[in-house]
Amino acid sequence: MPAASVLVVEDELIEAEDIRQTLETLGYVTDGIVRSGESALDTLKNKHPDLVLMDIHLAGTMDGIDTAERIHALYAIPVIFLTSYADEVTLGRAKVTEPYGYVLKPFDERELHTAIEMGLYKHRMEEQVKENERTIRVLANAIPDAVMLLDYNRQIIALNDAMARRLGYHYYSDVHPDPSVQFDQNGMFTSIESQVEAILRSGRPVRFEEKNGDEWFEISLLRISGLGEQKPCVLVQYHDITDHKRFEDELKKEGITQIEKNMEKFQILNDQIRNPLQAIMGYVNLDCVQYRERIINQVRQIDTIVDRLDHGWVESEKVRRFLLRHFYDEPGIAPDPMREEKDGRRC
Amino acid sequence: MNTIMVVDDDPAIREIFCAYLGMHGYTTLAAAGGTECLDLLKAQKPDLILLDLMMEPMDGWETLLAIRHNPSSHDIPVIIITGKQPAPEEIIRYGGFIEDFIVKPVDFSLVVACLNRIIEKDRTLRREIDRIGNDRQDPELLDEYTRLLRLLRSAHILKKRYSDRGWADRILLARQEERLLQLHKKFNLPDTLLDRNEGG
Repeated sequence: MPAASVLVVEDELIEAEDIRQTLETLGYVTDGIVRSGESALDTLKNKHPDLVLMDIHLAGTMDGIDTAERIHALYAIPVIFLTSYADEVTLGRAKVTEPYGYVLKPFDERELHTAIEMGLYKHRMEEQVKENERTIRVLANAIPDAVMLLDYNRQIIALNDAMARRLGYHYYSDVHPDPSVQFDQNGMFTSIESQVEAILRSGRPVRFEEKNGDEWFEISLLRISGLGEQKPCVLVQYHDITDHKRFEDELKKEGITQIEKNMEKFQILNDQIRNPLQAIMGYVNLDCVQYRERIINQVRQIDTIVDRLDHGWVESEKVRRFLLRHFYDEPGIAPDPMREEKDGRRC
Repeated sequence: MNTIMVVDDDPAIREIFCAYLGMHGYTTLAAAGGTECLDLLKAQKPDLILLDLMMEPMDGWETLLAIRHNPSSHDIPVIIITGKQPAPEEIIRYGGFIEDFIVKPVDFSLVVACLNRIIEKDRTLRREIDRIGNDRQDPELLDEYTRLLRLLRSAHILKKRYSDRGWADRILLARQEERLLQLHKKFNLPDTLLDRNEGG
């Protein structure tokens, strides 16, 4: 790893030189020494040191804390304060700028070394956390499902863009979004309200399908145990199954249509078989004496077989009605004889 | 001498039926389909119609409704004689408009032997209804009675067909039965009207 570079902001020349020498003794590269906050900010426009060592008391209109505040806002560069006095007020102001360290003058070498190493390490860790967050965000947004994490009080802890869109705001860009789920939001979350309660109590994962307008969702809820003393939270996932549902419906419809076609065929066939049987019976009864009984017997046998086809049809009619009742929810398909009669009354 | 109209798209069936009917002394009319049947009915009034179901383009049920819609033919008794066993829904929907239904093949001489009786029974019913209708003002109820009578008779035939073959019977008409008896009592009609056709 190359030596870390440090920008020194110090208005006293002797101090500054002392710091530079110490830094180099410790193996760091001094990336410049500037005397005021303004010139520090100027320098940072072109240079990107690994760390800034900042005296709080500076020449010029900005002091070290003002300057650190700007740096913190503009760059991801850690700042360590270096000062000879530390009253409560100054410390309080310095804290706001989230400094990576605080070294009192006169400093000794080891103290400065520790502060710089800690600062660099802390900064690396923070960058790592940010990077992890970015990765998680990318992953969360890579799935098309709307996902959110609710805490024990049903407040949103995290959500992906798909869920943010459903909720109607951009959670991360809004400065102060209302993190509580509006359970009646367009009727979308009404159904999960009680489920969230239930899953927090029982911990049993819940999965159900729900229709919202023209869309179908498979909604999954999963309880996530809290770490240590933390209360559990709930992961809520909305999986869009509209296309799947549509396909399924088509399939069912086609299945029923096919059954109907088959039944229709049965009917026509039976009629077509029975007509010649009727004709044979008629002609035999008219004209045939010797073998009449035998022929009629044969006709009866064929008719028994046709009867079986009739039975098959009666059975498939049952299947069809079952399908219609269960998939189409059409109670009207089972005829109400009284209603039919009323219709018939006109005749 | 009663006139019987045979409506069937199968020429062999028409020939056989007409031959039997002729032998038993009926006058016959034959139509090869629904449209022809309705055409013939414009000029003729048979005493009974034997109607096939599966015909193109106008099927038997359509023809039946057209016969019932037409004031000149609405009171002609109709017997369905078909190769297609009617579905329970069909009986529930159309049973109130038919005297009977017969599934082919059948010994037609037995059918022919019943026709006069059926015609006579229908006339008795009509006479009774006319009698009541003349001194009372509920033609709708009398109409309902006639339809229920026919519906339950047809349903009974289908039930019997199912039970003869050991099939599960799914035709539930208790409400209708109750209503029929209620009307029957109300109008004090002769119990013979409730008899079911035998041998059909």
